[in-house]
Amino acid sequence: MTDGDYDYLIKLLALGDSGVGKTTFLYRYTDNKFNPKFITTVGIDFREKRVMYTAANPNGTTAGKTFKVHLQLWDTAGQERFRSLTTAFFRDAMGFLLMFDLTSQQSFLNVRNWMSQLQANAYCENPDIVLVGNKADLADQREVQEKQAKELADKYGIPYFETSAATGAEVDKAVITLLDLVMKRMEQCVDKPPAEPANGNGATKLDAAPPNEKKCAC
Amino acid sequence: MPQAADMINLGFLSDSEQDLILEVLQRDKDLRQAEEQRVRKLKTELLEVKRKGAKRGSGRYSQRSCGRCLEPLSRLTLFSSQCKLCNHLVCQKCRTVFPNGSWLCSVCSKESELKKMTGDWFFDQRVNRFSTMPGHDLVRSSLKKRPPLNKRVTMGEVLLKSTEISPDTTTPVPRPRQKNLPANKGHLDENSGSIASRESFESKEDVSAKPTHSDTESAEKASLGSSKTETESRHVTPELTRHEMHSVQHSPTESSVSSVTVPVKVDAVNNHTSNSVANTAPEVKQGIVSPELDVDKLFKKSVKRVPKPAEYVSTLDLRDEPDIKVVSMGNRSRSVPGLDVQEDEEEEEDIDSLVSFHRRTMASSFSSLNGSKSTLGSMMSIYSEAGDYDSAEVSGDITFSVSYNEHTQSLQVFIKECHGLAYGDASRQICNPYVKCYLLPDKSRQSKRKTSIKRNIINPTYQETLKYSISRTQLCTRSLLISVWHHGRLSRNTFLGEVEISLDCRNLDSPEEERLALMGKAASAVPVSAFAQYKGELVISLKYITPKKPTTEKTKGKKVATEAEGELHVLIKEAKNLTAMKAGGTSDSFVKGYLFPTKAKTTKRKTPVMKKKLNPQYNHTFVYKELTLEQLRGMCLELTAWDREAMGSNEFLGGVRLSSGKGTVKIGKEEMEMDSVGEEVSLWQKMMQYPDSWAEGSLPLRSTMGKEKGK
Repeated sequence: MTDGDYDYLIKLLALGDSGVGKTTFLYRYTDNKFNPKFITTVGIDFREKRVMYTAANPNGTTAGKTFKVHLQLWDTAGQERFRSLTTAFFRDAMGFLLMFDLTSQQSFLNVRNWMSQLQANAYCENPDIVLVGNKADLADQREVQEKQAKELADKYGIPYFETSAATGAEVDKAVITLLDLVMKRMEQCVDKPPAEPANGNGATKLDAAPPNEKKCAC
Repeated sequence: MPQAADMINLGFLSDSEQDLILEVLQRDKDLRQAEEQRVRKLKTELLEVKRKGAKRGSGRYSQRSCGRCLEPLSRLTLFSSQCKLCNHLVCQKCRTVFPNGSWLCSVCSKESELKKMTGDWFFDQRVNRFSTMPGHDLVRSSLKKRPPLNKRVTMGEVLLKSTEISPDTTTPVPRPRQKNLPANKGHLDENSGSIASRESFESKEDVSAKPTHSDTESAEKASLGSSKTETESRHVTPELTRHEMHSVQHSPTESSVSSVTVPVKVDAVNNHTSNSVANTAPEVKQGIVSPELDVDKLFKKSVKRVPKPAEYVSTLDLRDEPDIKVVSMGNRSRSVPGLDVQEDEEEEEDIDSLVSFHRRTMASSFSSLNGSKSTLGSMMSIYSEAGDYDSAEVSGDITFSVSYNEHTQSLQVFIKECHGLAYGDASRQICNPYVKCYLLPDKSRQSKRKTSIKRNIINPTYQETLKYSISRTQLCTRSLLISVWHHGRLSRNTFLGEVEISLDCRNLDSPEEERLALMGKAASAVPVSAFAQYKGELVISLKYITPKKPTTEKTKGKKVATEAEGELHVLIKEAKNLTAMKAGGTSDSFVKGYLFPTKAKTTKRKTPVMKKKLNPQYNHTFVYKELTLEQLRGMCLELTAWDREAMGSNEFLGGVRLSSGKGTVKIGKEEMEMDSVGEEVSLWQKMMQYPDSWAEGSLPLRSTMGKEKGK
């Protein structure tokens, strides 16, 4: 698995409250299996998967080149007591799966907090994020409405998916969408060298939760 | 803002949890190694492409030839054949056309492709955000930093490095972690430290190591020392042969140089263990890194904490952690080559500028002692309090001949052999000597030539010819500096001696073999002042913006009453007459700024890179927030210009230091003299005197940022 026979190593990271299903989500994605048992993640873990990525051409008509992408999917403990460890890993990831549990209003409310954690600790202030509402299969226990979540995602300017690690619904799509965002960001960063903001780097202040995100200048 | 790395305090983890995490980190390491290998391969490919064709500074080229393959260009193509990035005129064949119709020359497209494929795009972004590398402070706290490629370091690596229990001595890539030994040469012997000797040195370790563990400042110092070692060693470790490859790229005609690119294998055979105390001491210190201690380091230690058991177990949420008021000396010293050899997280400073600084400093501070006998190794120790260093006496001689070849228009330096060299690694009686040559006064890498490295020998025979393409008339102003170095594989290189030959009155037609005794560093070679050499100018404008209203609302965490705080704006307008470092007589320059002492940890700012210009216009503003005029009075702004080398080490072009010119700035425990002079002072004062208006000036660049005198 870890031979160097790939074109890109893309590191993604899943975060969110404890028990929202990050581990099972990733397990479904990498192995296409579901483990209903809840085993709390100790600190950090990761899974890997090799995917083929086809870059769409700018004009969108024909498909561009196809690349082998090696995904390193970091799984983080949602538990508060691991927080200092997990947030430290935020800065090594290129994209984020911010997850909550559709059957837990609290986990949805905490998305805001995770968002600010990301803004403070990720490699840049507005990294690529996909909002994921998991456990969509448990329709009868649902506490968070799609509209609500969609609104929040729009506010942050990020895509939103309702997934089910149990059935596998939308799991692939969520990850691939994130991968796509990261790959596009990469193109931007390299092809358009940064016209850096005049206020320089590092001096920027972080607001608790800026209402609207824009793509960074990269 | 939380810098998570400072605050990792994982004392709450149970042993089994730690084991689990270590397992994950180990897997991550495997992946990382594969990745490192892949990246290395990619970068070699780029160098290959670069080498194949490009106009170089050494030759004359027709304006109408392709900048890559050097084929003549047809008149028609002349109009639209300039590569957007490098500005070379390029023929059709040497272009890579993108789907959207735009194109770049083969080298530039390869470079940008590489940026994507190696993940450098990401690390470059991140560098802009965190001036410290991930886990920088964490690692510093555990005094075991050994990043192979700084900006690429990941948290997993950092954590693993600090926990590795049995370092893998067979793989050169993940280096065994280092303890706080500035002059540590015993890497390979890590496992050979016997229990018995470990115990016998326990008390010694107590004495020497305890203060470093418990005292923030000395810890800083010590770690600085050790990271220095690492900087040096970086250049000699296999994965960083890119530095070496770099020289190849710049002097493709030198067959001798390319031999250095061969990755060095770790041959533990060379380790001659002797029984002397001096010899075993470093090993023992290494050996003492027991698993428990390590885990302590990782999970229970925090920089500013005095290790009291009670504090180990405290679980701290990172958001509650107060700001650590450790002014990072590491940060500071990283900014300039003149000050020390601290590495830069994303810019690996050329070792030569560092070395040359050392010679200067040494010559100035040791001249009274006739310090020419000491080595680079001992120089390093100035920065570490440990005083644990080796010094090799300069001894032996070198046999060589110098001639000029009219036919090829080149100066040929034939290095025959050396005799009776000192052991570069005296404690282990090891010497891996190589000969390095500069055609002075040019001390840039373009003038550097090296022989191959001979292994484990003090009477090496080279029989190698180093060539310089130069017209004969230019030679009379030049001199040849031939130095001999010990190549410390995992440690720093050691200076073994040098000779300087002036070429003005030398018969270069009949090569006569010459055997000269090696000398120590010549004190006379020291430039009198950092300003003695014209390095160009930097045009900047400073403005202090007074606060509009006292800041009332503050983030919840900080209850501190804040008085009115303004901003310092530093507009980097342009530079003039920079030194050309690149082929074609240009430089890809950028300016880096630091404000000392650092209030926040992140005072580093950088301008974008201006390609192919010696008079670049940056027009970029650095903003430093939350500053009062009173604070600025005691601060020092350091701006340095660098030549960007995408795949190699950036080269120092010059710098300025703005301050009141009086007093010192405290950086960690070190005090730096605010040695600003002339315009550097007046501009700084003007800025403070007239807030809210721009103070503009053109400042001469210093050729070194080193202190001219001791404190």
